[in-house]
Amino acid sequence: MEIRFAGVTKQFPPDIVALQDIFLSIDKGEFVYLVGPTGSGKTTLLRLVTRELVPTKGRVTVGDVNIRKIASHNLAYLRRNIGVVFQDFRLLPDLTVHENIDFVQEVIGVPFQSVQKRTNEVLDRLGLWRKRNLFPEQISGGEQQRVAIGRAIANSPSILLADEPTGNLDTDTADEILQLLLSINASGTTLVVATHNQYIVDSYRQRVIELRKGRLIRDERKGRYRSDGDL
Amino acid sequence: MGTFRYMIRDTWRLLSRHSGLSFLTIVTSVAVFFLVGASILFVLNTRYLVETVEGDLTIQAYVQNSEEALETVARKAISYDSVSSVKVVTAKEALERLKARLGKLAEAVALLEENPLPPSVEVQVKKASFATVIARELITMPEVEEVVYAGDIAERLQKISRFVSRLSMVVLVVSLASAALVLFNTIRIGVYARKDEISKMLLVGASRSFVIFPYVLQGVLLGTLGAALSVLLLWFSYGMALTTLERSLPFLRLLTDRLIVLRVGAVLVLAGLSVGWICSWLAASRFVRRASRSM
Repeated sequence: MEIRFAGVTKQFPPDIVALQDIFLSIDKGEFVYLVGPTGSGKTTLLRLVTRELVPTKGRVTVGDVNIRKIASHNLAYLRRNIGVVFQDFRLLPDLTVHENIDFVQEVIGVPFQSVQKRTNEVLDRLGLWRKRNLFPEQISGGEQQRVAIGRAIANSPSILLADEPTGNLDTDTADEILQLLLSINASGTTLVVATHNQYIVDSYRQRVIELRKGRLIRDERKGRYRSDGDL
Repeated sequence: MGTFRYMIRDTWRLLSRHSGLSFLTIVTSVAVFFLVGASILFVLNTRYLVETVEGDLTIQAYVQNSEEALETVARKAISYDSVSSVKVVTAKEALERLKARLGKLAEAVALLEENPLPPSVEVQVKKASFATVIARELITMPEVEEVVYAGDIAERLQKISRFVSRLSMVVLVVSLASAALVLFNTIRIGVYARKDEISKMLLVGASRSFVIFPYVLQGVLLGTLGAALSVLLLWFSYGMALTTLERSLPFLRLLTDRLIVLRVGAVLVLAGLSVGWICSWLAASRFVRRASRSM
């Protein structure tokens, strides 16, 4: 699934401009870093893709769907194709690791047996099998992040959006997470990673889109980007 | 199957997570539906009493103690088209009837030196609605000392019945509104406690109806369970009330068939289910609609 932004402006009341006149195209299966300082509009851009927000001006298209025009009952179906990894993980504290991953499958009506099978696959892939019966507070930050990724990929989405997936993690754990994201991308999932972690952007070269004060100031194809200071 | 399984598990989670609140809601529902059921039974019994009394077609005209007077009144009474039969009850016959009615206590009558009972003419009218007219005609006769008929009592009972019905309607509305409010708030608390979870569910592609369903099921369960328990309580208390009233007020004619409680109970359970459904749907859908609205 590809993502297109055509002249998108997002303004919050009274007159805060979060994004301004963004033209952008992310193709199916691409890996894109979305970089920029805090408040540059990265999260707003991701929230426009999931249609948590609608653009004030312009058009956001996901696949063939103009997200402004999508009917509310079809929105659920669109979202089933988009996995989201939140900055603060947002795991459900009352559910165990495997229940957190079961949950996203159950809510879209996946049959019980398939849920079990898929959860086991995901846990295996993330190296979380031994932690499956623990609650989020009983595992480390890196493990929580992996659970969050597992939850996002459990329904095999076409697009995976990750908001600061290495935010509070040390370099080793960040490396682990990046390896994981790369392997997910290798299986054909379009990946958009919002980050201001200079280390991962420099270490794992991919296409980089840079935002500042809501404007797209740079769009460098894979390998051409060189960071020039703090992201 | 997976969806259904999840919904049932989620409903159970909702009930157990706020078990104290769920218990309180059930207790309130029981109290409210018991009150509603008791009011309905009271109204039904009052109406039954009115109908029974109204159905009595007999007018008792007490006449001066002379054979001539008895004959005059009887002749006059039978001349009306609306009268089906007339029977003269002498003072002696009246005493015999009293003895028969008193049963074991009849010996007490023997202690009386003379018969205190007046003779009367028993007039049977064709329809209950004729009773008042005939009674008014009879009382104008100089030979008649007093007229007693059920219509007079029925009229008074009718007034009481109307008042009780209105009062019950108020009780019904106020009680159901309280039950609805308690249920609405219980569900709303449940929804707010899980607002993060709900937003995540919507974000991963759960449909609104999927999110709302466990709350609706919770509301339906609480409402129905509350109503069902109140029916149980009503069944036992109605039985006890009947036994007590039959002993202390044997002449009172009440609805003794306890099936009436089951009929009222069915209405209550249906009301509990509907109130639970409507309130929980309103509480949950309002929040979910707002949560799923894009900015």
